[in-house]
Parts: sequence; structure tokens; C-alpha cells
Amino acid sequence: MLTLKLAIRNLLRNTRRTVLTAMLIGFSLTALILVDALMLGMLDILVNSITKNLVGEAQIHRVGFRDNFDVDLYLSETNKIRETLDQDPTIAAYSERVLAGGMLSSSYNVATGLMYGINAASERQVTQLPDAIIEGQYLTGKSGEILIGDELAELLEVGLGDRLVITLSEADTSELAQTLFRVAGIFKFGIKGVDKGVVFTNLDQARGVIGLTNEQSHEFALRFTDRALATLPDTAVYQNLNTSEVETLNWLQLNKPIASIIELSRFASLIIGSILFILAGLGVINSMFMSIYERIYEFGVIKALGTRPARVAGLIMTEALLIAVISCIAGLILAYILGAYTSVHGVPMGEYQVSGIAIDSRILTRLEPYQFIQFPIYVIFLTLVAAIYPARFAARIVPTEALQRSL
Amino acid sequence: MTALIQTDNLCRYFQQSDEIIVKAVDGISISIEPGEFTAIIGPSGSGKTTLLHMIGGLDKPTSGDVMLNGHNIADMTAGELSDFRRDHIGFVFQAYNLIPVLSAEENIEYVMLLQGVDAATRKKRVAETLQEVGLSDYADRRPNKLSGGQQQRVAVARAMASHPDIILADEPTANLDSKTGIALLDVMKELNETLGMTFVFSTHDEKIMKRATRLIQVVDGRIELDEKKSL
Repeated sequence: MLTLKLAIRNLLRNTRRTVLTAMLIGFSLTALILVDALMLGMLDILVNSITKNLVGEAQIHRVGFRDNFDVDLYLSETNKIRETLDQDPTIAAYSERVLAGGMLSSSYNVATGLMYGINAASERQVTQLPDAIIEGQYLTGKSGEILIGDELAELLEVGLGDRLVITLSEADTSELAQTLFRVAGIFKFGIKGVDKGVVFTNLDQARGVIGLTNEQSHEFALRFTDRALATLPDTAVYQNLNTSEVETLNWLQLNKPIASIIELSRFASLIIGSILFILAGLGVINSMFMSIYERIYEFGVIKALGTRPARVAGLIMTEALLIAVISCIAGLILAYILGAYTSVHGVPMGEYQVSGIAIDSRILTRLEPYQFIQFPIYVIFLTLVAAIYPARFAARIVPTEALQRSL
Repeated sequence: MTALIQTDNLCRYFQQSDEIIVKAVDGISISIEPGEFTAIIGPSGSGKTTLLHMIGGLDKPTSGDVMLNGHNIADMTAGELSDFRRDHIGFVFQAYNLIPVLSAEENIEYVMLLQGVDAATRKKRVAETLQEVGLSDYADRRPNKLSGGQQQRVAVARAMASHPDIILADEPTANLDSKTGIALLDVMKELNETLGMTFVFSTHDEKIMKRATRLIQVVDGRIELDEKKSL
């Protein structure tokens, strides 16, 4: 009680220094929470870009297919796969696809690209392709329809209703096949590789072009009832479908660069937090030492009166604890206000791309409870760690030296 | 009578450089009995404050022993010395020796809190000592709202409230005007005479010398004169 009373009064004694120190710690906490919230917001954009656009939350392929999209490496027993997926309660939806690389020719230009044959109805359940249409309409199932990315359309100089010829190799025979399509819609995902190099057409027609039967396809894109299930290795679908010939990979495994970025972003908060708190810690040490030097005669007096070194150290630690707690309360309030505002209005970051995915000019921050529980605990702990050195110094003050120094 | 304080060939040397050793206290042996009002006198730098600090356990001797009530201070650890000062010694320093964030009564209470004295006893002793030093009306005031003389009286009250064996005062009147200094000395002399409290001063104030029952003159770390006088 005596220590607490002394600590409170000592802090109030030089309010300017106390407020400045508290601001240093409080702003560091606010910055840490906002940086973390911003990271989460950016990750949301990245993950949504992947899982809700083309990749889905997981995919099933023939082993080796993804290496170079070889049309010959198709899944042949798709009935069994569909049956397994239909019976799995964790699977919310799936979309069957065929893929083939080929040459896309318009009246004006030629480009290479990847043709996706999709079931229009089931694709809608898995990805947001219909929402990405910026001109024209989504696939209706009619023969000859094709959807093309906006950048590819620009390159080929085609618009709605224009003709587009796809030349590709048939599966198993490698015979060249050519089919005429008409542009039904233009899409924009914001993923450069997709917008510039992918076209979508109806599954049945694509199968016909490639030479596959209705039982053969290249890919299943999956959506789970809960996205978190996708990255859990013991989720049933991975156990049930993976064989020596068939692989089921989650969205992180399908996007190694994004997985690296997500992993890195987890460290980013740690790195930024560490830098912030090294600076704040140095500020605390500096402030505490200023306070000790200012009161060195008093420390001499209280030690002369019989105050034990441990109690002197305890006084400094209590002062640090009080500053940390006050700073955290202020920092949390500020972080909540700013975080709540930016979670609605976003943080303007300018347009840029991360691993080919366009990040919107505004990132909506995401506040989480752990930021308001764990981070203040770290801050208080680190402030106390920073105060150990000055506390030790104060505890070791020799009364005779302290009394002489100020006289 | 048994000695309250006994020093035996007490030395305190300070190594100023490789070649220069300052002998602040050089072989002092004294014995102070309970109830004495002793003044250690001497010019500046003679070693009287160093001697006082060693008697009070604030400084450790280079050699020699300090016995206070049968305890050898020289053998104690830092923590033990803290406890010893808390329980056996009251200090009055030259100036600014109160804790500025505590009121007069809280300053007086401070050592008793360290001693673990119960609240009722603390309250009683604070009231008594404030009355004895004539500051009952100033109990709630912080040091910056008290004059220099009042601050020193609070310091005396703090020193005596913890019921020490001895009060050590290092030039307590140095920063006070003559009138205030006399008033403070009268308070301490009264405590000495009525309660039998032992005082040891380090001073070159003639007012203290006049009131002292014993004068110990220190020059260059050695005792030049040790005389008891009757007032």
C-alpha cells in the first residue's frame, strides 16, 4: 500500500514526463493493433481473391496435372469422386472442370491461354465468376459461349459477340482441334494471370473439343462449409480422396507464393511489434532513469531510513506497471476507435499487387479480441522488463553517495 | 554504564587515484552512552560526517568495528543494514530530507510503516511527535508547504517516532537561520532531557556545541579532543 501510494504520487509529480512516457507506450500499442488489423485486412483480400475467385478452397486433380496442365492427365473415375463429395458433410459445393492450354485467335490478334470448361450452375456455388462479369452475361449453357478476361479481350481486340477461335490438342491423341466461340461476357478478377490468360466455356462443349467423355475431367474445385476446414490436414475429403493417382490440395498448397506471404505477414506483426517495443522500452528506460536521477537524494534518504533495496526496486517496478496499465487503457481505446473507423472506411493504400493479385486501394482493417487481450499483456510485460534495469540501479544506490551527490 | 555505540580503531579510506588514498577516518575509537547529547565537531573535510555515516550503518568501514547495542554493523549485509537502520537509528540530515510526495504526518509514519507498526499505534505516535515538535496544525502539509525549520522539525519527529536507540543528525541547523536553528535545537534538547533520547550530531554550529554534553573534535580523521561537560 505504501509502495503503491508513493508510486502514484511520484507519477503525478511530473505529469508531463508521465504523460509523454504513457503516450510513447500507448501509441506503440495502438500502432501494433492497427498494423495487425491492417495485416488481417490485407490477408482477407488475398485469401478471398484466391478462394472466392477461381481456385476455390481446395482442388482435386490427377497427380502431375498441375505441373504443366497436360490434357492427358485427366481424372477418369469422376463418378466415385462426385459420390464421395456428395456424401461429405463438410463439402458445401463443388465444381467440375476441364482445362486445356491452347491458342486463341481473333480477327486481329493471337494469344496463348488456358481454356476452362465449367458447369455454369455449379461454378456459381464455388467461385464468384458471375460477379466478376463486367460486360455481357454469364454462361447460360448454350453452345459456343465463351467468357474472356478484360486484358485478354483488349489484347485480342475483341468485344461482346465477336468471334474467337481456340486451337488445342485433343487428349490422348494429341490431334489438333479447332472450335469457334463467340464472346458472351468479359470478366475481371483483378488477378493478372487470370484476366490476361484464361477463358471460360461450357463444360460439355469443352469436353467435346478436348475429346473427353462425360466421365472424364481435369479438376474439381471445392468449397467447404467452413473455410478453416480447407487447411486442416485431417479433414475427411483429404483422407478419402488422396491416392497415388489423385491429389486433393487446399488453397494454400495450390498457391505457394500466397502461403509464403501469409506466413510472412504473421512475422510482420511480430517484427513491427518488436521494433516498436524496443523503441518504447528504451523510452521507458530513459524516462525511469531521468526520474531516478531527479530523485536520487530521496532514494538516498529512504534507503538511509531503512528501506530495503528490494522495496526500492519494487517502487520503480510499480511506477512502471502503473504507467503501462494507464498507457494500455489509453492505447486500447484509441486503437478501438481508429480500428472501428478503418474497418468500415478502410485505409487508403493506393493500388498495388501482391503475387499477381490486385489489392484494392482501401484495405478494411479487421479487429480481433486477441489484439485487445494479448497485445496489452505483451506491452505490460515488456514495460516491466524495460524497468528492471532502472529498478536495479535504484535498488543499488548507496545512501552516502546519493546524499553527497545532491548536497 | 554499558556503551550504546562503540567504535574500535575505525578507519575509512577512499582511493582517489592509484597513488592517493584519502584517510577520511583514521583509527577512531569512541564510546557513547545512552542519553548523551554528543557533538562531533571539526572543520569541513575532517571526517565527522563519514564517522557519523559509519556509526549509522550508511557506510562500511575499511577496517575496525562499529558496535551498536551489541551488534557489529561491519558484519551486516546490505539488507540487514537496512533493517538495522530502520529499527535502531533515526536520521536527521542537513536539508530536504523529507519525502516530497508525502505529507508531514505521512513522512513521520514512513519508518513505522516499514517497521510494520499497527495503524492505531502509528496514528498515536504521529500525533504525539507532531505535538512534541509543535507542528500538530501542519500534519497534512507537504514539505513544499513548510518552512525549512518546520521541515527539520518534521524530520526530528520522524526520527523519534520510530523509537530508535539513537538519533544521528548531520549538520541539522546548517540550512536554517539562527532563530529557527535555536528553536529546533531546543526541541531536540528537550527530547534528550525528558525522554532520555541519545543524540549524536555532526556539526560546526556553535549553538549545538553549547548545548552538547560531550564534544568530540575530529581533525584529519583522528580525534583531537574528547571532552564531556556539564551544562
